Amino acid sequence: MERGVLGLDELICKARRYVVLMAGYDPGIHLGSSLSVLEVVAALYGTGRLKFNVANGAHNRNYFVLSKGHAIHAVYALAAAMGYLTVDELRETGSVGSRLQNHPEVDTPFVDVPNSGSLGQGISLAVGLALGLRLRGEPGRVYLVTGDGELDEGQSWESFAVAAHYGLNNLVTIVDLNNVQLDGHSEEVLRKGDLAGRFRSLGFEVFEVDGHDVAAIISALEKAENSAKPAVVIARTVRGRGVPSIEDTAKQRLSRDEALSHVNNIC
Amino acid sequence: MLDLESLTPREALGRALSDLGDLRKDVVVLVADTGETTRARLFAERYPERFFNVGIAEQSLVGIAAGLALAGFMPYALTFATFMTRAWEQARNSVDRLGLPVRLVGTHAGFADAYDGPSHQALEDIALFRVLPSFTVLAPADSCEVYRAATASAAVKGPVYIRVGRDFHIPTTCGLYDRFEVGKAYVVLEGNDVAIFTTGITLPLAVEAAQVLRDRGISAAVVHFPTVKPLDYAAVEKYASATGAVLTVEEHMVYGGFGSAVAEHLAQTRPTKMAIMGLKSYGRTAKSPQELYQLFGLTPENIAARAEELVKLR
Repeated sequence: MERGVLGLDELICKARRYVVLMAGYDPGIHLGSSLSVLEVVAALYGTGRLKFNVANGAHNRNYFVLSKGHAIHAVYALAAAMGYLTVDELRETGSVGSRLQNHPEVDTPFVDVPNSGSLGQGISLAVGLALGLRLRGEPGRVYLVTGDGELDEGQSWESFAVAAHYGLNNLVTIVDLNNVQLDGHSEEVLRKGDLAGRFRSLGFEVFEVDGHDVAAIISALEKAENSAKPAVVIARTVRGRGVPSIEDTAKQRLSRDEALSHVNNIC
Repeated sequence: MLDLESLTPREALGRALSDLGDLRKDVVVLVADTGETTRARLFAERYPERFFNVGIAEQSLVGIAAGLALAGFMPYALTFATFMTRAWEQARNSVDRLGLPVRLVGTHAGFADAYDGPSHQALEDIALFRVLPSFTVLAPADSCEVYRAATASAAVKGPVYIRVGRDFHIPTTCGLYDRFEVGKAYVVLEGNDVAIFTTGITLPLAVEAAQVLRDRGISAAVVHFPTVKPLDYAAVEKYASATGAVLTVEEHMVYGGFGSAVAEHLAQTRPTKMAIMGLKSYGRTAKSPQELYQLFGLTPENIAARAEELVKLR
């Protein structure tokens, strides 16, 4: 049962406000990256592909690996928008006593693969998980979300090659191609080459979409899920989407006043 | 019956894994283009569906093993010990932080791969894996102990690093004890004047040194620690107290390894005269590991000499 895109748009709007709200309370969050990946996260959790209320260890379910673990606030924000977290709890993010840590951690809610965050490593974890699910004969899929910057890591391609070699079509990879990494625009930091071509040459099926068009993402996911080969959805996004002063920049921080005033102006 | 003494350490490893495969359906084995050299092939022949080659890619090897552990499997990932340390940060972040039951097996450790020179000779692996809080670290002495340690590792709850050689070993432990227990030290010789603690392949060198010492009227205990972590603190304290002089011997850098583990504990509980024997530099290409033991002074004569000095210092 899928939510209408109309319902999703409202959820995304609410979640975007929550991400900015959290940035107002904790300048340590990765604001720009959480804003770029929001529609992708909504296309996964908002359609029931992934669930906020399924216990770890449940069989025959789908798994989520947020390899770009620094964008975890997109997940927290969507969880709150869908009623699984309170706004009070969001305000506490990044505090030592909060379970909403700034990268996925052992006690982070909703994340069944909490050992991501060191870039590139979530990709290997997802490939191992997909290999394991197939070996167990479980029908679940692994949804892997990576950034474009983290594809600089050699480990990423080491494990994508394994996914292709073993034909892991239970792995659906989504690249949040926001074109920015810590030191600036990705192409200036290190050219990525023909990203789609790099995946295709390994044996992946590639779908390219506007990563802020949730209907387009869902449609690409459906195709990816039915692919006989491992599939990747390259989602072209804008870092900092929704906050004009940081859009398409490496900027992450807003003053609390700026953040809180934005909260009400977004969508 | 399996004649472990006649196997090389890596053959014993391959046999242990394939036998574990019979006992446990959750055991999977991964290699980084090292199926033949680590003898993981012996498992692959029996259980091809549970065997994965990830290519020459150690970071991916460790990460994928961690993913398989998340899916409920018990992965054994095998490659040369030196190259396993290339994935140290993956061992930290993908494995150790979650305490996943991943077993990393570093073969060709120490000078075992004399032929390929220092790039292939792991002398830092004990230190690097010992520092990770969840890891158990095993360094068996010979083929019998490799087989037993690899088998016993399946019962460990968190991650394990197992340090294995290649072909050279001096069979010593086959008749020494009946059951390998993780975390237990084994007393090989009793003695009152000095205690020689060993891990890994240095055990037979220490046994020979103790015989040399006996001829000089010095009574040396030899205690073998195939588990570096958790260290058998009771055995460390008992023999430190009984002799007042502890000499550790390892085929590893003297920095941060087995000797350091013993020293850390004794310094905080019962300061004891100590010496740490091992390596302080990289190796060389040679025709055999024994040639390197000679070149770098890991010999029974040198062990006896250091022990004798310690006895005088007591």
